Order: sequence, then structure tokens, then C-alpha cells
Amino acid sequence: MRISDEIARTIIDPYAYADGKRIDDAFAQLRRELPLGVAQPEGFDPFWVVTRHADILEVERQNDLFHNGDRSATLTTIEADRKVREMMGGSPHLVRSLVQMDNPDHMAYRRLTQGWFMPQNLRKLEDRIREIARGFIDRMAAQGDKCDFARDVAFLYPLHVVMEVIGVPESDEPRMLKLTQELFGSADPELNRSGSNDQGTEVGVDSIQSVVMDFMTYFNAMTEDRRANPRDDLASVIANGQIEGQPLGYLEAMSYYIIAATAGHDTTSSTTAGALWALAANPDQFAKVKANPALIPGLVEESIRWVTPVKHFMRTATADAEVGGQKIAKGDWMMLCYPSGNRDEAVFKDPFTFDVERSPNKHVAFGYGAHVCLGQHLGRMEMRILWEELLPRLQSVELDGEPRNMVANFVCGPKAVPIRFKMN
Amino acid sequence: MADEPYKTWQCRTCGYIYDEEAGDPNEGLAPGTRWSDIPADWICPLCGTPKSDFDMIEL
Repeated sequence: MRISDEIARTIIDPYAYADGKRIDDAFAQLRRELPLGVAQPEGFDPFWVVTRHADILEVERQNDLFHNGDRSATLTTIEADRKVREMMGGSPHLVRSLVQMDNPDHMAYRRLTQGWFMPQNLRKLEDRIREIARGFIDRMAAQGDKCDFARDVAFLYPLHVVMEVIGVPESDEPRMLKLTQELFGSADPELNRSGSNDQGTEVGVDSIQSVVMDFMTYFNAMTEDRRANPRDDLASVIANGQIEGQPLGYLEAMSYYIIAATAGHDTTSSTTAGALWALAANPDQFAKVKANPALIPGLVEESIRWVTPVKHFMRTATADAEVGGQKIAKGDWMMLCYPSGNRDEAVFKDPFTFDVERSPNKHVAFGYGAHVCLGQHLGRMEMRILWEELLPRLQSVELDGEPRNMVANFVCGPKAVPIRFKMN
Repeated sequence: MADEPYKTWQCRTCGYIYDEEAGDPNEGLAPGTRWSDIPADWICPLCGTPKSDFDMIEL
């Protein structure tokens, strides 16, 4: 039941995710030959690799049997895990957000902002988000006939929306984008703080910790401000929120801000950039959705499946269990491979084809169960509005060079999508 | 029953909305399918939350 060393090395390799085909081929081979096996690449504790859509749902659905917080919630080396535990008094986590929590804390902390992220509450943002989208599209048009759609539009538009939602002033957005890219791009020498490939080492942990500390310094000041001067923003909800009659703990509050200020826009940015890449590479799909705006929700859903910006989360079994015919022992660590689930031939017809008319499209990009993405409705809404505004003006689009993906195995997507276009 | 106004129900976990009038054809629920006619073991199509953890909402 052990996965070959070559495949095991591939599924942890940030460069395989940047390559795209290498990771797709590795997961396709696992789904065919060993869909739920154990990997033990050098420097890592052994972990189960969950590649099938059905098995991912099965694990995510049982959030009491498979915990997020008992061990690291993301893939980490033995060396990095030891370093984090030393720094954090034995905890395997540098932050403690919803992602690292289990019940009863998870439910209590999620409830704090759950209502805020529900579709009926988000409707009040629709007009403002449309105004923001139009602004970025006007800027794109003003650039002439060429741009890097990732850098010039996709990174900035969701960033601006989410920072406005949180209450971060526009002047601080470049700082938030840089910190986000340093955090999620920690394996990418072009993006991380050290400029070298040190992921999984003690140096790499120090580098991530310094990014986290910068976030905390910023948001601690914001907490003090919002406690003194509450506003109608998410920062005020977090700053003044209470759990069982007490303010949020410092680490939990800071982690809440950090996840909102990073995952809240980076995933939408990656998906938006990947969508335009796919449309430019598939002119028939571009023509279809341009001719029929009713396909825009399908474009949004297919681009979320296509990019799958969150590549994995880890779970830890709290008791002996069985998944997909395999015996999982208490304490076992499991890697939920979302890109694989979203290319599972048993669920998706022609999974390697980008199809804006795909229906049904029950991807697992937002996760499933109690930890399903809190911001999924906001992300979908941002993308729908952008395409509603951009597609009528975009007369043609083609790639103007080779797009490039970020080097990462956790949260990532395109970092450059050079295009040539005509707009009215 | 047929004359009663259609209602909407929302998943407490993920926010998925089931609108009786629209149904959810992807889930095999034809337009007009009443909440009471959906089996008790039905789960939220987005996150797997049980039917019992849905709330009726006004939109």
C-alpha cells in the first residue's frame, strides 16, 4: 500500500504544481493504481494520500473522526514541525484560525462571521463590487492591447474587495499583497522573503514566522482601533467578537484576520487568472460564454474546478477508521488532494477539458463538511461580477507568451498570464 | 398545499439555499418540489450537512 518514492516526491514537490502536467500525471496514476496509499518521502512522517473525489468527501464529512488541529493542517517536514512546536509551546500550528480548529472551538469561532458571509448579507456589497470591477477593467483597457492579466487585474481586484471588506485602507494593499505572496509563496524564490528555496527547513519556518509576525503587528493595531471606534467592517466584527462571553484570544483573533487577509483574496485571484488563461487557450469556450452571458456562473464554477487554488489540507484520524476500503489507524495523517478529486474520471467526464457548460460540476475546491470554505459565496460573487463586466467589452483575447504558475504545494495558481487583447 | 407560497431553506454550515419554486434539477429535485417532500436523509449538495440542519429563511 506504499506509494512509490518517485510519485511521493512529486506530490510534495512545489515545482510539480508549477509545472501542472507533472502533478496531474502523478495524481492520475495514483487514482488508477493506488487511490488511497501511504507516502513517506524523505524528511516527512508517513501520510495517506487521498486522491479520489468520493474519499475526500468521506473524510471531510466526518469532521469529528478526522481532525484538522491534532497535527499540522498542512503538509510539513519533520524538521519544520519540530521547529514550529518549539516556537509554539508544543502546538504544531504557527496560527490558530478556523483551519486549525476542531469542535467545539471551530463551530463557535465560525459562527462569529458565518452570517456575514451568507449570500443574503453579501448582496449589499454587489453594487460596490461592480464599481470596483469596472475600475480595474477601465485600467486594463487603458493599457492598450497587452497586459499581464494576473499581475494587472487578477491579483488586485479581489485584493481590493477583501481589504475593503476587512477595513484595510487602500494605501496598505500593496503591503498586504506582498505579505500574502510571501506566505503562500514560501517555496517560490521569486516570491518568498529569503529569495531561496528553503521550504521545510528551520530557516524556512523562521521566514514564515517573520511574515506572520508582520501580519500580527499590523492587525493588532487594527484591533485596538476597532475596539475604540467600531465600524461596519469585518475587522470590527473580529475585534469586538466574543466567544462564551469573552473576547477572542490574541492568537485566534490575529489568525482570523490573517486567513481573511490572505486566503480571502489569493484563491480568488488565482482562479480569476486561471480562468482567463483557459479562455485565451480555448477560443471556443471564450466565444460560447461571450455569446451567452447565462453561462457565466458555469464559467465561474469550471474555473474554480480547473484551478483548484487550495492544493491540499491534512487531517488526522481520531480513531481507527475505514476509508475507501483501507484501514486507517488512530493518529494517521491524511493529505486531501483537491486537484486530484477535481480531475477524478469517476465524477467528471473529460476532466482535463475546460468546459464552461459542465453540469453538474460538484468539485471539491471549497472543501466539504463543516470546514467548507466560509468565503465561497463572496469569491463566486466577485468572479461573476468581473466576467459580467469584462466579457461584453473584451472582443478578443490570446496568450502573449507562456503563462507561469507559482511554485507552491499548498495555495497557488498562475503568477503571470501575459495576454494580447482587444477591448471596447 | 399546492396553493401555499413557495419557501426557501438555507444550510446552516455553508449557506446553500434551496428554493422550492426553483428546485435543484442537478440534485434530481424538480422545480416546485416542496421541502417536506425531500427525503429526511437528503444532505446539502455543497457541504453534506443533514437536512435537519437547514433553516427556513425569508429572502
